[in-house]
Amino acid sequence: MIRFRNVNKWFGPLHVLQAINLDVARSEVAVVCGPSGSGKSTLIRCINRLETIVSGEIHVDGVPVHDPGTDLIHLRADVGFVFQQFNLYPHMTALENVTLAPMKVRRLKAAHARQLGLDLLDKVGIHEKADAYPAQLSGGQQQRVAIARGLAMQPKIMLFDEPTSALDPEMINEVLEVMIQLARDGMTMVVVTHEMGFAREVGHKVIFMDAGQIVETAPPDEFFTRAQSERTLLFLSKILTH
Amino acid sequence: MWGHYLQSLMASLPFFFKGLGVTVQVAGLSLTIGTVCGFALGIARAGRVRAVDLALSAYLDLIRGTPFLVQLFIIFFILPEWGVHLDAFASAVLSLSVYGTAYICEIVYGALQGVGPGQKEAAAASGLTWLQQMRYVVVPQALRPILPPLVGQYVLLIKDTAVVSVIGLTDVTRVGWLTVQRIPNGILVFGLVGLMYFLICYPLVWVSNRLETRLTVEESSL
Repeated sequence: MIRFRNVNKWFGPLHVLQAINLDVARSEVAVVCGPSGSGKSTLIRCINRLETIVSGEIHVDGVPVHDPGTDLIHLRADVGFVFQQFNLYPHMTALENVTLAPMKVRRLKAAHARQLGLDLLDKVGIHEKADAYPAQLSGGQQQRVAIARGLAMQPKIMLFDEPTSALDPEMINEVLEVMIQLARDGMTMVVVTHEMGFAREVGHKVIFMDAGQIVETAPPDEFFTRAQSERTLLFLSKILTH
Repeated sequence: MWGHYLQSLMASLPFFFKGLGVTVQVAGLSLTIGTVCGFALGIARAGRVRAVDLALSAYLDLIRGTPFLVQLFIIFFILPEWGVHLDAFASAVLSLSVYGTAYICEIVYGALQGVGPGQKEAAAASGLTWLQQMRYVVVPQALRPILPPLVGQYVLLIKDTAVVSVIGLTDVTRVGWLTVQRIPNGILVFGLVGLMYFLICYPLVWVSNRLETRLTVEESSL
């Protein structure tokens, strides 16, 4: 479903992605972790070309993302993205946030889009906040609206870039629960997170990145118990103790 | 003497109102054109296409780096040499539009920059085209910060219309000019001219201040 082949990217002199190879199969949940600045956000942002790569190939559902001629509109419609900072549109209600893209990109009729939006808000458990503006919602509620917005285009893949890092601890679970449900429904997901409980519960593979490289890829149980590299062990000791 | 002057001035009032009409027409037309073009160019500038950026920067620097009076002269006196003949009214509207567009473009561009990059990314990630991102997500959020300086710019442009009297357009300033030759009391005549500008501009100044205060209050309450 997602395939990286020898992908390189530089920010100025900084080699942020170094010869990345990666495969995510349909319905697979890949969890990407690593210290800050390791390139994990850049990696996930390359999948729908929020960042462009310098060399290598990325295919998403057969579509060559690295090819400048690729129709980004179709690609992006098939890939939902959830941001660390939610990035909800502050001038629109929760429902309008969800229905904007279906109405403008898929040309759904207003009534149809409204029903879709209400269904999705129901799915993430905030049906009753449909007419609230983002500023009136808690962080956890905002992020759940953002997930509903990501699902509104009925994507084949959902990408999550540190979806719980900006949340107060007591709101993390309500967001994770929605993501776990999504994983159980068979969504293909790439999730940048340090929530190792999430990785254990629904992850199929954990990808550990450091300094622009993928250091280790393993199924969660193996990753936590028999990590190979020293860098992984160091990282694990830091996040598992805090 | 004052009573006599005042009486002749009263008799000339219709003349002043005609001039005021011309001023309002010139200002109204060029503000409308300047607003439409300023928004279009401001949004185009936010597109970050290098050629567009270079062309716009050159235009903005040129307009903001030269006196408006010189721009007006170029359009009214120099264009005819290249075969483009415009009457005084058209020249006035054109030069004020070109001038106003430059400043409004900068106001719009600045406000668009103030909308966080995450907003465009979110819109892009859900499949909206660049124009849709601007139209539904970025521009609506920029409108509120645009309004106070935009109205302020309108006030400046309305006052700048006085300059077009020099190419013979009979706006309210030129009416004052012509009148003072019959009624040699500058304070009285130009007092009236000033009052007329003030009556148009002051409500706008007031609106601009109100908008600014409201925006500050709303921002600090977030």
